[in-house]
Amino acid sequence: MKLTKEQIQQLYKFTRQHYVEHFDVQTELVDHLANDIEQIWKEKPNLSFEHARDISFKKFGVFGFMDVYGARQGTLQKKYIKILWQHAKDWFKLPKIIATFTFFYFFYKGLIQFGDTFALSVLVVLILFGLVKHILLLQKVKKRQKLNGKKWLLEDIIFKGLFLGGGMIGINLFNIINISSPKVYNTYWAIFYAAIFTIMVVYVYMSAVVLPQKAENLLVENYPEYKLV
Amino acid sequence: MGNQKLYKGSLQTIILKLLAKNEKMYGYEITQKVKELTKGELSITEGALYPALHKLEAEGFLDVEVAKVDNRLRKYYKLTKNGTKETVNRLAEMEEFLKTMQQIVNPKFSLE
Repeated sequence: MKLTKEQIQQLYKFTRQHYVEHFDVQTELVDHLANDIEQIWKEKPNLSFEHARDISFKKFGVFGFMDVYGARQGTLQKKYIKILWQHAKDWFKLPKIIATFTFFYFFYKGLIQFGDTFALSVLVVLILFGLVKHILLLQKVKKRQKLNGKKWLLEDIIFKGLFLGGGMIGINLFNIINISSPKVYNTYWAIFYAAIFTIMVVYVYMSAVVLPQKAENLLVENYPEYKLV
Repeated sequence: MGNQKLYKGSLQTIILKLLAKNEKMYGYEITQKVKELTKGELSITEGALYPALHKLEAEGFLDVEVAKVDNRLRKYYKLTKNGTKETVNRLAEMEEFLKTMQQIVNPKFSLE
């Protein structure tokens, strides 16, 4: 006996009720449950759909779908970092390295000339830009997901995932600068902070501007089912 | 039901080996195949299978394909070129491991 379309939809709902809200993860779980329910029915054909589903769900253990979900999230976050790095690499190669170096030189000069005031100003600008962009992206992804009726895990990571982590590093830099830096920067400190600021600029630009713009292509590339639904 | 802990470290190798033999498989099919081959001795839990599959996919050893089957979408896994190479390596490691275990568990004494 095979599951009907309605029963498949009920399984999607069931995964949502168990805290799996992304379509890509749901799909794999739904197919697994459906196969198992059909297998259970072969041995006990009189069992109700709900009963067979519960038997199948119990096999996932006390944490339910969380193990599978957590692992998928970890995998996709790694994939995201890989994608980010692939795009960021260009900024350390010709011709874009000229822009990167210009940023570096600007930061270096500023630090030497204005010291802490300059460092804190750069951080404030970067964090403010990041925060505003982050809020806009959250709104954008909400709209997208409402329009499509589906959420994809990679989509969530691209639009809101690791970006906050970058913000946290920025805020912590405040403390590091306050503790470790002298009032006037010597060459080594200036090179060190200029390098960190340059990397931050590339990171913020990649995660908050470039990758969200390429989200559609990235989803098509990474999800064979994206075009199917 | 054997001691599942002993099999735990070999899960990825088992998956790779199955995929080398079957070209493409989906998650549930893998659990059933393992059960069938081991006559029920080894049953891969759902909570272990998918994380292992996803990890292999992230490492570039597996590729995915999605098809519509029986009113639903099914995700198939298959070996990539790197995956095929990795399978050979992992199986060689496994052979070595089995030999070493054999020597410890069941040593053969000789006069040489």
